[in-house]
Amino acid sequence: MRLTLAIAGLFAAIFAPPWLTILCMGLLAFRYPAWEVLFIGLLTDFLWMPGLFSQLPIFTLAALVLVWGLEPLRKEFLFH
Amino acid sequence: MNLFRRNNFLQDRWAPHTGLPVRGTQTGRKHIFIATLIVCALFIVDAFSGGAVRSLARRAGSMVWQFSESIQKSIYESGFFSTRRVLIAQNLALTEQVAQLEGRSAAYRVLQDENANLREILKVAGISGRQNSTSGITAPIISSFRASPYGTVQIGAGKSDAVSPGNLVLSVENFVIGRVETVDEHTSLVKEIFAPSVSTDAVLHGIGVEVLGQGGGNAVADLPRQTSVGIGDPVISAALGSRAIGVVGNVSEDVGGSYKRVHIYLPVNLSILQFVYIVKN
Repeated sequence: MRLTLAIAGLFAAIFAPPWLTILCMGLLAFRYPAWEVLFIGLLTDFLWMPGLFSQLPIFTLAALVLVWGLEPLRKEFLFH
Repeated sequence: MNLFRRNNFLQDRWAPHTGLPVRGTQTGRKHIFIATLIVCALFIVDAFSGGAVRSLARRAGSMVWQFSESIQKSIYESGFFSTRRVLIAQNLALTEQVAQLEGRSAAYRVLQDENANLREILKVAGISGRQNSTSGITAPIISSFRASPYGTVQIGAGKSDAVSPGNLVLSVENFVIGRVETVDEHTSLVKEIFAPSVSTDAVLHGIGVEVLGQGGGNAVADLPRQTSVGIGDPVISAALGSRAIGVVGNVSEDVGGSYKRVHIYLPVNLSILQFVYIVKN
C-alpha cells in the first residue's frame, strides 16, 4: 500500500491535478512515517515552481508539515 | 506505550505474539530526519548551482510525460480500444472544433476592435506594423497543463533556440497564454497569464483594468458599474504588445455595489494545445 501510494504520488506530480498529489501525500503521511512524502513534495516544486524563491515552495512545506506534524498522531495511534 | 493500545488492552495482541520487533517510530523518524536533511541539501545545491537540480528534474519529468504520451498513442493506434478510441477521437475532434471556433470568433472581435482603434490612430500619426516586425519560434508543449500548482507549463524550446525570460507565449489565434519564466538549455518554464494571483494590466472598452488570474485560463476584473460590457468583448493588454489576453465570459454585479465583476476566460482549450508560438515582448 505504501509503495503504491508513493508511486501514485510521484506520477500525480507529473500528470495529475495538484489535489491528487496532495491527497497521496496526506494518505502516506497519515498512515506511515513516510520519507517519500518529502521527495514527492520536492519533485512537485522542482518541476513546476517558476523560480527557486520567487514563490514559496508550497508542496515541500506541505510535505514537511504533513510528515513532522502528523508524527505525534502516528506515534499515539498507529505505532509505538 | 501507545495509549490507544493500552486503553483497549491491545498491548499483548500484536507485536509480542509475532515475535517480530514492533514497528517503531525511532527508525521511521530517523529516515524522515535524513530525508529532511537531503531535501534541504538539494534546495541549497539547486540555489548555488543556478537551478541545475530543477533543470534535471524537469528534464526527467518531461521525458516521462513524452514517454507516456507515446505509449498512449500506440495503444490507441493498435485498435485495442477501438470503439472507445473512436468515441474519444470524435469527442476530442469536436472539442477542438468548438475551441477553434470560439478562438476564431474571439480573434475576429479582437481584430475588429484593433481595426477601429487603428483607424482612429491613423488620423493622428503614421505607425509601423510593430507586431509584424516581431519574429518568433514555434515550440511544442512537453508537460501537462493541469498538473502544475503554480500555473506553469513546460515547452520544448530553450536557450539553444534563443528563448529568454520574459518572452511571450501565444496561441495560434494570437492570444497571450503566458510569459517565459525560466529557461534551460532545451526547455523553458512558462507561467500562465491567468495563473492564480497573477495580475496583469489590461484594457477593456478603453478602460484600464487590473486582471487577476484565477487559474485554468480564467481571470476576473472589476469595472465601474456604468461601463457597458458585453459577453465576448476582447481584453487587450498594452503591456503585452497590445495583444489580446482573453474575452469576457460573464458579468456580475451587486445591487448596491459601485463595481461590476467581469469574468474573463482564455478562448483556447489548453488541455488539447500542442504547440505555442514564442515571441519577444
